[in-house]
Amino acid sequence: MPLLRLLQLSDTALPIGVLNHSFGLESLVVEESLNTDGLEVFLREYLEEIGSFEFVFCGAAFRLGIESHDRLPIEQWLDLNKRFSAHKLARESRNASATLGRRFLRLVNGLAAAPILAAAIDAAQLTETEIHHCTAFGLAGAALGIEEESTLLAYGHQSLANLISSCQRLLPLGQTQATRTLWELKPLLAELVRRVQTNNFDLDQAACFAPLVEVASMRHPMLATRLFIS
Amino acid sequence: MIETLNHEESSPRVHGRLRLRFEARGNRNQTILAESEQQLPLRIVRGFQLNDGGSLVHLHNLSGGVLGGDKLDLTVEVGPCAVAQVTSTGATRVYRCRNQAEPAVQRSKISVEEDGLVEYLPDQLIPFAGSRYRQETQIELGANAGLFWWETVAPGRAAHNEMFTYDLLLLKTMINALGQPIAIEHMRIEPARRTIFSLARLGGYAYFSTFYICRVGVETSRWSELETVLGELAIHLSRPSITVWGVSRLRVHGVVVRALSVNGRELATHLVDFWRIAKLFLYDREAVVPRKVY
Repeated sequence: MPLLRLLQLSDTALPIGVLNHSFGLESLVVEESLNTDGLEVFLREYLEEIGSFEFVFCGAAFRLGIESHDRLPIEQWLDLNKRFSAHKLARESRNASATLGRRFLRLVNGLAAAPILAAAIDAAQLTETEIHHCTAFGLAGAALGIEEESTLLAYGHQSLANLISSCQRLLPLGQTQATRTLWELKPLLAELVRRVQTNNFDLDQAACFAPLVEVASMRHPMLATRLFIS
Repeated sequence: MIETLNHEESSPRVHGRLRLRFEARGNRNQTILAESEQQLPLRIVRGFQLNDGGSLVHLHNLSGGVLGGDKLDLTVEVGPCAVAQVTSTGATRVYRCRNQAEPAVQRSKISVEEDGLVEYLPDQLIPFAGSRYRQETQIELGANAGLFWWETVAPGRAAHNEMFTYDLLLLKTMINALGQPIAIEHMRIEPARRTIFSLARLGGYAYFSTFYICRVGVETSRWSELETVLGELAIHLSRPSITVWGVSRLRVHGVVVRALSVNGRELATHLVDFWRIAKLFLYDREAVVPRKVY
């Protein structure tokens, strides 16, 4: 049962609006010549920086959920999310992550009522704290009894699938090439998950250097025509 | 003023310290440099009074740059209602590390108390070939405290064709307002290990700048307004593939301006333009460019 639930929650068709966001990729296509030829290489580097950074927070949220034994440490949960918000300098990407996180958590709690998910939602509402997709996914994985590595891999896989799906709408990227790109990047996903697990999701060690993606996200509201919200 | 100087020329590793405390005094709240503790190679000469009531200090590194294994600690305390402007006398040059040497470390702690303001406006950071450098900056803002802080990182000694030949650049920044994080960055750049030219990192650009503009307690709607105003300047100044500017509201209490360019001088010039607009918007005062050549 955990596997079946995980498959559903990591489907990009999950009704939380993930397909409305490009997280700055739309600006990179318009202004910085991101194209199909360089897409796989770009996504590799994107995963190395932004992907693995989100895995750290996803994993930290998972462990918080596991260690809470149905009593979520509210302050730690909120601090984790505030910290992620502070790292996300570009408003649109931050808001996108927070919107997806809030919707995801509510959806999962509606499907499988779990005390720690309800507590996480209530605390966020009460304190007006943004809850992010990566942390919500990690916490839900713990609440649903899914294994740590599987939770992280599924989060990474749905993020990557979503980025590729965005590129299909922005670039002349066919189904076959999109499928191949997703296929080819799976070993990297697994490697990055292993790496952050080895480091025990140490938030102080989590680093990310992706200034062009951030600037692209900051510049997205200024584009004349936009397919995506972010 | 307390002053402590400690010469340890024979020591292979330098531990420089500089602590500055600014305080507002008198009916007109004129800011003075109330205390300074200095340990070589970090030095200041004096605090210069500014026409707007602030105090300006130039940071000197008597070594001429940051050497492998150096540990440099800077503490800046800005008291209630005080206004401090801190700048450098030139680019921060980070020299090549010996093979076994620890990375050079620069730690800065800046605290701004209630109604205070700090403008921390250093020149470029230039990491030389073979250098390893770790920079940790922690900024604490109290109620109604303000911050203007920019930083520009060069690819190396461009004139010597040294581009991205440093070993390691680790830049860690945390800005807290009333004890809560509002902006955190942790960049680890190792050009030999991970290509810098990916569109996920710098793409075709060589220089990058970040400019934090904060004032604790200002309403979110005002920050949205400032984001729009600065965003218009960003559109005006940007020429993709040469220089791009982006502006974004922080989660609370501020906005951030970020820019990438093939040309460092362009960034230095236009950071001042953003500063001027933001200073007028937030403080209804002119930005006073530090007395040195820009």
